[in-house]
Amino acid sequence: MKKSVLASILGSVLCFAASNALAEAPSDWSKIKALDTTLFYPGVSPMEWINKGTEHGGARGMKKGETCMDCHSEEIADMGGKMVSGQKIEPNPIPGKAAAINVKVQAARDDEHLYLRFTWKQPKASGAAKMDTVNPVKIAYMIEAGSKVEMANISGCWSSCHGDARTMPGADDNKTKYVKNGSLANGIFYDLNQWRSGENKAFDGYVAEKRVMEGGQALQSATGKLNGDTWTVEFKRKLAGSDKGDVELKAGQVYNFGFAIHDDNTIGRYHHVSLNFKLGIDSKADIVATKQ
Amino acid sequence: MTEDVINKQRAFGKFLAFLRRPSSRYSLGFLLVAGIVSGVVLWGGFNTALEATNTESFCISCHEMRDNVYPEYKETIHYSNRTGVRATCPDCHVPRDWTYKMIRKAKASKEVWGKLVGTIDTPEKFEAKRLTLARNEWQRMKSSNSIECRNCHSLESMNSEVQKQRARKQHEMAVEDNMTCINCHKGIAHKKPEGMTEEDEDG
Repeated sequence: MKKSVLASILGSVLCFAASNALAEAPSDWSKIKALDTTLFYPGVSPMEWINKGTEHGGARGMKKGETCMDCHSEEIADMGGKMVSGQKIEPNPIPGKAAAINVKVQAARDDEHLYLRFTWKQPKASGAAKMDTVNPVKIAYMIEAGSKVEMANISGCWSSCHGDARTMPGADDNKTKYVKNGSLANGIFYDLNQWRSGENKAFDGYVAEKRVMEGGQALQSATGKLNGDTWTVEFKRKLAGSDKGDVELKAGQVYNFGFAIHDDNTIGRYHHVSLNFKLGIDSKADIVATKQ
Repeated sequence: MTEDVINKQRAFGKFLAFLRRPSSRYSLGFLLVAGIVSGVVLWGGFNTALEATNTESFCISCHEMRDNVYPEYKETIHYSNRTGVRATCPDCHVPRDWTYKMIRKAKASKEVWGKLVGTIDTPEKFEAKRLTLARNEWQRMKSSNSIECRNCHSLESMNSEVQKQRARKQHEMAVEDNMTCINCHKGIAHKKPEGMTEEDEDG
């Protein structure tokens, strides 16, 4: 009897240890394949501009299903240079601001969690007045399932960017990001996770008819550190979804994905953004989370 | 009928009779040579005058062009580029083919009238009219399958490997959709007019 109790206790301990081990981030991220990409300064280029053929020549292609990357993947940093300097669609250029940031993105998963790791070199500070006095750096990603958000399949997270949202010229300071016909109930939303450096805090929200920063149940943790001049931020979130704006991530599926960094104490549109990506869970994509 | 009119009709009748009457004074050879020489002089003079109106210097002799669209064009690759090839006003705006050139020149007589009455003689008037003028020109170029562009460029001759990714993609779509140059390249040598619509862009 005693033996069976001991065996049972030992078995339970081993199971607990094993499940804990499964819930850990990859012990050696260097073995995880990385996507090297460039985030760029977008100026004033909301969806209304993107879709306006008289302003954006690519509008015609996007109507045919071409993605941002299809036309721009080889010139991302150059685009950032044009905008950040005020040469194009930036009425309020910030002298000294970085045009682009090169970022390494890695993903992994276990039975229950998705792990995302972002690594980038801290750009030189512009010296401009701080818009966000608390957080020198913020990083956020958005995931969308099923391409229910209009154009999310070709624009990454760009479909949440609109000309009447805060910090856009002449826009209402209280108007946040949103998506067309956004609705959690109808599944038309982006799942949004963010980490802020000053507050050292993770935010689990979503973007539907408006942006909501908290209330999500999937994000377990987000940690960031600056080692020398290199930032590393890791997110851990459940694969399981919820009705609180958490996309359910399933093996074999691919999701629309985009991310952005607010560098240099900035807010709103003054960030560096990615073009469109696909996140695959054990499935071929730009960023693949393979089971460890 | 007045006597004056009757006299004029008689004079015209006499002139016709003179033209019909075989010459008894000049040889056929002389008449032939004189005709050829006269033809060459008249035709050459006409063409010389025509070509004089087909130059950039003629176009910008009017301040309406010199002060508005010409400075914009000078900032573009069609004016200044690494290879030293320059497309001037008539290269883009006047057909090379003689027949179409004559039609365009005949239509340009309306522009002479505009010049005389000062339709676009101030920057404000020009801006107010810019979209209309541009639409006319876009439509002309579209109806000719952008022949003035294609005098120098063609989709078939392009080396897509040396084009930027964005241009490569756009030209692939242009072939697929049987588009013509001006469908996309509005504003390539002058600034785009205010008030352009999506229909203008797609057209």
